[in-house]
Amino acid sequence: MSVLASEWLKVRTVRSSYLALGLSLGGILLGIAVAWAAVGMYDSTTPERQAHASIADLEEVVLIVPQLCMGVLGVLTITSEYTTGLIRTSLAIVPRRWPVLAGKSAIVGLLGLVTGPLVVFGTYFAARLMIGDRFRGSYTTPLLDKLPTLVTSSLSVVVFALLGLGLGATLRSTAGAITILVGLVYVIPIIVGNLPEPWSERLGSVQIGALPREITGDDLTHSVYGSLLPPVAAAIVLIAYAVLPLLAGAWLMRRRDA
Amino acid sequence: MVRCDDRPPYLILYRVIELKRLTKRYGDTLAVDDLSFNVEPGHVTGFLGPNGAGKSTTMRLILGLDSPTSGEALVNGRRYTSLSRPMREVGALLDASAVHGGRSAYNHLLCLARTNDISATRVSEVLQQVGLAGVARKRVGGFSLGMKQRLGIAAALLGDPGTLMFDEPVNGLDPDGVRWIRDLMRSLAKQGRTVLLSSHLMSEMALTAERIIIVGRGKLITEATVAELTERYPSLEDAYLALTASSVEYGAAR
Amino acid sequence: MRAIMSSEWLKLRSVTSTYQAIGVAALTVVLGMVWTFYVSGLADERGSLRAAAPEQGFLPLVQISLAVLGVLAITAEQASGMIRTTLTAVPKRGTLLLAKAGVVAAVTFVAANSIIILTYVTSRLMAGDRHLQFNESSVANDLPMLLASGLSVTVLALVGLGLGVATRSTAAALVSVVSLLFVLPGIANYLPAPWNTRVAALMLPNLVPQIADQRLSRRLGDGFLPPWAALLVLATYAIVALAAGFYLFRRRDA
Repeated sequence: MSVLASEWLKVRTVRSSYLALGLSLGGILLGIAVAWAAVGMYDSTTPERQAHASIADLEEVVLIVPQLCMGVLGVLTITSEYTTGLIRTSLAIVPRRWPVLAGKSAIVGLLGLVTGPLVVFGTYFAARLMIGDRFRGSYTTPLLDKLPTLVTSSLSVVVFALLGLGLGATLRSTAGAITILVGLVYVIPIIVGNLPEPWSERLGSVQIGALPREITGDDLTHSVYGSLLPPVAAAIVLIAYAVLPLLAGAWLMRRRDA
Repeated sequence: MVRCDDRPPYLILYRVIELKRLTKRYGDTLAVDDLSFNVEPGHVTGFLGPNGAGKSTTMRLILGLDSPTSGEALVNGRRYTSLSRPMREVGALLDASAVHGGRSAYNHLLCLARTNDISATRVSEVLQQVGLAGVARKRVGGFSLGMKQRLGIAAALLGDPGTLMFDEPVNGLDPDGVRWIRDLMRSLAKQGRTVLLSSHLMSEMALTAERIIIVGRGKLITEATVAELTERYPSLEDAYLALTASSVEYGAAR
Repeated sequence: MRAIMSSEWLKLRSVTSTYQAIGVAALTVVLGMVWTFYVSGLADERGSLRAAAPEQGFLPLVQISLAVLGVLAITAEQASGMIRTTLTAVPKRGTLLLAKAGVVAAVTFVAANSIIILTYVTSRLMAGDRHLQFNESSVANDLPMLLASGLSVTVLALVGLGLGVATRSTAAALVSVVSLLFVLPGIANYLPAPWNTRVAALMLPNLVPQIADQRLSRRLGDGFLPPWAALLVLATYAIVALAAGFYLFRRRDA
């Protein structure tokens, strides 16, 4: 418990945490800006073009902002200690190493659990309010139908935060961990999307970006992703993205000198 | 007034660090407050003061790392930032651990040497001088604090400068190293160089320095010779404690 | 200036992160070969197919890894405090930044173009005269795209350097680079027409095809910048980032 309190204090007292949280919430503003631009465009065009106009799910569009920010926050909570040498102090105070990582996981996960829903639901409701029944009513579907998608999208932010922490613990390098995080989100899906079938579909189905929507059973054939996994399997793979790097990090922390 | 390039250092008569009403403000705190003093060649000048008194800030201001709020600091009559090959005029050790851990000691020094057209031979020479020749190709990240101090001193000596500044150089050194530093400082001063040395070890300072500058809360408290101070007080330590008694407060720890 | 550039060159050469960054970027050559091998096999079964050119498909890998190199060229010094030692050796901050930019630009330009051209050559050789679409245009036709790709990598590395100087943080600079390279272009896609094309045309990765006078993408069509204007916008990215970095670097205490 005291480990938890100490890790919470550490996160609470550095500027980068607030920056990451602030930028995450900035995702809502980004969503509002796009919605505002879309509404303006829609209202100034002809009825027959309005009938064909469509809009993407804005909460999905801006989701990358909290995902990335919380992922980076996860990375920094551990790598900044390695950079400054504070990790030696932390491990001297709490000599058994896994509680340190567990404490960090809890804090970072909790922050993701707060930020994710805030941004996703915040953007969704703002967009819903602004767009109303424009764009063929794509924002008028009952909330209950949207709920599974909104919830899994929100939770994906937690996965990113823990993934960042795990990568940071494994690599001990800010640059390395962030590069791999970005690689998983952007570079690898692009490469996989370019692969010929059936590999594009197969590998596309286990990409971190595809999993939340596979959990809710969405069709992803028109993206770089695939949708081969049933919801339960997708959920397991998504959790593995968070857990495996953490386990690797914990194992390496135990074996390595600080 | 400025040193002539073709003359060996000991022939140079006048070479100083000169502070003129130097002031540095960080937000609300005055780290350095209207500080004026000169440091002269030929002996070690001890720079004393409680933690947060503004010693390190003063050194950073002299080196142009921070810019003063008002006043100025001159080296050889010029501002540090206007020197084109500063390492040949001033050598400094501020923070020994401020090195890239992945680089070897030799490469670290060579990176610095190249900026001032200092030869690779000179790099090996100073590594020899500070006793790191055996670990020259090892990663600096694996060095102990004492070894890093020696590396920092090697960097300061690289350009064979007439003026040297050391901030707490004996931190982390073993008794052997402390002795070595003391002899090094004194021999550098004896060669006619200007040496400014900050330290908290009073006994060490009493053995090394000839003149003492004491600051507190960014202000000059005393400028005197060690002899003068030990005449008035039982020891240098007593002198220091008596003089700084009213300024021990951590105003501007930076 | 030459002395400082040679020092910066040594700095890059003497840390492993440089080799790791270039190594990851160079994976593109291997991935390109695997890719070509794979689609060649498919083409042998099916007769012909439309496959993406590997040096285009894997370009983001080169871009992001070498941008990291640009970021670390400054943030590694800031994180360790080495920057203060560097600035005592080179107090003229503009010159230092210019030297860093020159070395980062040269290294990333050579590395990126070598990797891209090597990927191009090996994949075309492996593909032989199969009908894979990407190997069916002439070298003269492909050359602008290759050069624009290489140039975009250099610009990203310089943007990384500039943002690293400005933010003094590896994480912040990397996130900014990632935003420019991936996040913002992604979001621009979702803007309602015609704003999606207008905004997307200015996005960094989309400048590459526009410089080579090629189609942006199926979704965004041709783009609207003529090659010279796209080139200008690309250069502006680097210049703005470096200027912002320089402005803050000069004013701030180190």
